[in-house]
Amino acid sequence: MTYAVTDNCIACKYTDCVDVCPVDCFYEGENMLVIDPIECIDCGVCEPECPADAIIADTAPDAEKWVAMNTKYAALWPVILSSKEPLPDADDHDGTPNKFETLFSEAPAVQA
Amino acid sequence: MNVQAVKTLPDAQTVTSVNHWTDTLFSFRVSRPKSLRFRSGEFVMIGLLKDDGKPLLRAYSIASPSWDEELEFYSIKVPNGPLTSRLQKIEEGDEIILRPKPVGTLVLDALLPGKRLWMICTGTGVAPFASLLRDPETYEAYDQVILAHTCRTKAELAYGAALAKALPDDPLIGELVGDKLHYYPTTTREPSANEGRISDHIRSGEVFEKLGLPQWNAAEDRIMICGSMALNKDIMSLCEAQGLTEGANSNPAEFVVEKAFVD
Repeated sequence: MTYAVTDNCIACKYTDCVDVCPVDCFYEGENMLVIDPIECIDCGVCEPECPADAIIADTAPDAEKWVAMNTKYAALWPVILSSKEPLPDADDHDGTPNKFETLFSEAPAVQA
Repeated sequence: MNVQAVKTLPDAQTVTSVNHWTDTLFSFRVSRPKSLRFRSGEFVMIGLLKDDGKPLLRAYSIASPSWDEELEFYSIKVPNGPLTSRLQKIEEGDEIILRPKPVGTLVLDALLPGKRLWMICTGTGVAPFASLLRDPETYEAYDQVILAHTCRTKAELAYGAALAKALPDDPLIGELVGDKLHYYPTTTREPSANEGRISDHIRSGEVFEKLGLPQWNAAEDRIMICGSMALNKDIMSLCEAQGLTEGANSNPAEFVVEKAFVD
């Protein structure tokens, strides 16, 4: 069991989830976060914290592809340990459909 | 010569006392890192080192209130459970690992102001409420506080029962508790004053009748839920049926659920 970040995180990246994760299992891409399903303890605290409702349990419909996508990028991106400012146009992008197809960046977050 | 034990564990804390409540339930207290701040109701990761030298950690609610100098935990003993089969053998002076990042949604901050705070739990799900029930803020924020705890037997209720009984006479917060606290235990596999699941007592109205309290309404009632997956789902749907919505730290509302302790 795990939680996974879905495409509504893309171009928003509010990062509220990061501060409430007890095991620090969020990884940061240029414009999205993902959860490492191996590290996630399924506590569910992050799910209601996401302003964009982008986090789902792996029992949700359609979860499989997001778990696979999260697994892939958690291995490629750096861990994020504390929240930061959302992306500049976060509120405009919250709810935009098909963000994975149109806005997703595979690049890891730039390390400060 | 008195040789100080070398702390070999990462984030090690020392066990100060252990209390075995039944064959399957125990509580224990450990030293608290000076820098550790938490809000009553939150949980942390605790554990032991595995034979291969890696930490084996599980999420545990802190059962002590935020002002306490030590940290208390309440645990089940799972036969062959990777952690609890070993954790149940800890004794005073032993060390455990405690990761210093407390988090959680069973906190007063995740609820909008209200009149009555209902704490609904099964089994060891009473632990975060043992923290909140000993926090003065709980009684400052609410007129009535209800602890509804369901277990299979009366013996399994003992930890919560002892707490509820002692609170009104507590030298520190007894006066604040006053007559605000209602304790409503139910048993599912042994005769008692309140038999059956708490969800059925809510559905039938029995709990409201017995306590002399009104049915839940979104303006006045706040609900915290911590128990088995079945209980969590059941109570959540009862909340939603009364027009209550789920809160979070970033968006306080009328009820909150802890999902970390599902069986």
